[in-house]
Amino acid sequence: MRILRLFSWFVISLSMVAACTQVQPWERGYLAKKEMGWDADVLEGALNDHIYFSKEASSGGNNAAGGGCGCN
Amino acid sequence: MKLIKSRSLIALSTTALALPGIAHADAPPVQNTLSYKISNYKEDDLSRREVVFGDLGRYDIDVHQFQLVAPFTRNTSLHIDANVEIMSGASPWFTTAGLDGQPLVNLSGASGIRDRRAEISIGGKYYLENGSVGGNIGYSEEDDYRAVYIGLSGERHFNSDMTTVAVGFSHSSDKLFPTDAELFNRVIEADKRTTSALVSVSQIINQVSTFQTALSITEQSGFLSDPYKLRDVRPQHKTQISWTSSYRRFFIGADAAWHINYRLYHDDFGISSHTVDMAWHQNISRSWQLVPTLRYYSQSAADFFTNVDDSLNPLTHYQSSDYRLSAFGAISGGISLITDLGDWTATLTAERYIANEKYSAYQVSQPSTALVRYFRVSLGVDYSF
Repeated sequence: MRILRLFSWFVISLSMVAACTQVQPWERGYLAKKEMGWDADVLEGALNDHIYFSKEASSGGNNAAGGGCGCN
Repeated sequence: MKLIKSRSLIALSTTALALPGIAHADAPPVQNTLSYKISNYKEDDLSRREVVFGDLGRYDIDVHQFQLVAPFTRNTSLHIDANVEIMSGASPWFTTAGLDGQPLVNLSGASGIRDRRAEISIGGKYYLENGSVGGNIGYSEEDDYRAVYIGLSGERHFNSDMTTVAVGFSHSSDKLFPTDAELFNRVIEADKRTTSALVSVSQIINQVSTFQTALSITEQSGFLSDPYKLRDVRPQHKTQISWTSSYRRFFIGADAAWHINYRLYHDDFGISSHTVDMAWHQNISRSWQLVPTLRYYSQSAADFFTNVDDSLNPLTHYQSSDYRLSAFGAISGGISLITDLGDWTATLTAERYIANEKYSAYQVSQPSTALVRYFRVSLGVDYSF
C-alpha cells in the first residue's frame, strides 16, 4: 500500500506540471543562474548525501544511487 | 584490531548522473573546471550515562573531494571524481539495559584507530540536440570493504525545452571482508549487490520558478547486516522506494533563490521517512553570496529493531540494535559563504546536526541510545581554466 501511495504522489505531482505558462528561451535569464540549479554545489551535495546515507536509514532521491555497506 | 568502519557512497551522486538544471544550456562545458573540497566531520562524544565503560569518543573524519569536469570533444565531456576519507574513533558494538532499564551502549574500538577509504569515478556525457546520454564507472576501497559500480543516464527535452524527462540506472557489486573476523566470530567474507533506477520529470513553471519530481527504486541483496555489531541479523533482501519533489524560485527584488526539497521514503524493513530541506541563496554583491540551510528528517523504526540486545533471542531471528534503524528525528542547520573571483570560487560551510527521538514524527516505542550529533566544516575551491 505504501509503495502504491508513493507512486500516486509521483503521478499527482506530474499532473501539476501541465498548468505552466510558456517561457521563451530569452526569458530564462533568472532560471539560468547558477543558484537556481537543482544541485548548485555538486561536491557539497555529494558530501551531504554521503553523511546522511551513513547516519540515517533512508537513501535515494534525485540520483540513481547505488549501494554502500550495511555497517557504520 | 581494526573496528572502524565507514560507508561507501557507491552512488552516482556525483556529477556524472546528477540531474541537470533544465534551464541551463545542455551543452558540453567550454572550460575545464577543477574542484577541491576539504571537510572535517566530528561527532559529539557520548555521555557516561550512555556508555558502560571505555572511551566516549566517536567518529572524527577528514574528507578530501576532487573533481575535474572537462570538454573532451565537440559533443562530449569528461568527469573525474576522487574522494579520500581518513577516519578515527569508535562506533556502537552492542547495547545492554542499565539498572533503571534504560539502554546503555558499548562502543567498539578505541581512540587512535584509523582507517582510510579511497574512491575514484570516471564518467562521460554525450550531448544530443534534445538531450544527453552519460555513464560512469567507479571503484571504492577500504581495508575491509571493496565496491565496483557503474551508472547510466539519459535525458530528453520536450515542449520547447520547458520539460525534461530523465532516467538513471546504477549497479554496485560490493565485497566485505571484516577485520579480526575469526577472533570475534564475524563473517569471513560476504557479498552485497545494489541496483537502482530512477525516473524524473523537470518543468519550467514560469520565468522565475521550476519544479522537479522523481521516483527511484533500489534493490539490495546479499549480506545486509552489520558484521561489526555483536547481534545484528537482517534480511538478505531489501527494496527501497522514494519519491522526491523539488522547487526552485528566484526572488527578483531580493536577488535571492529559494530551494525546497521533500522526500517520502519507504523500505520493506518497515522504515518510512519524511525529509524536508530548504536553502536561501542570498546574493550580497556581484561576488559574494550567503546560503543558510535548514533540514528536518524523521524515520520510523525497522520491524526488527530492539534498543536492548536480547542474548536469548536466537540468531536465526532478525534483530538489530543499530540506532540508525530506530525511530528518531533530526534537525540540522548550516550556512555557506561563497565568493566568486572570476576564474576562482571559494566556499566556506559550517553545519550542525542533532538527532533525537523527541524530534520524531513517528511513534517511538523503543528510544535508541547513541543517536548522533555532529559538527561539520568545509572549505571548497573551484578553478576554471
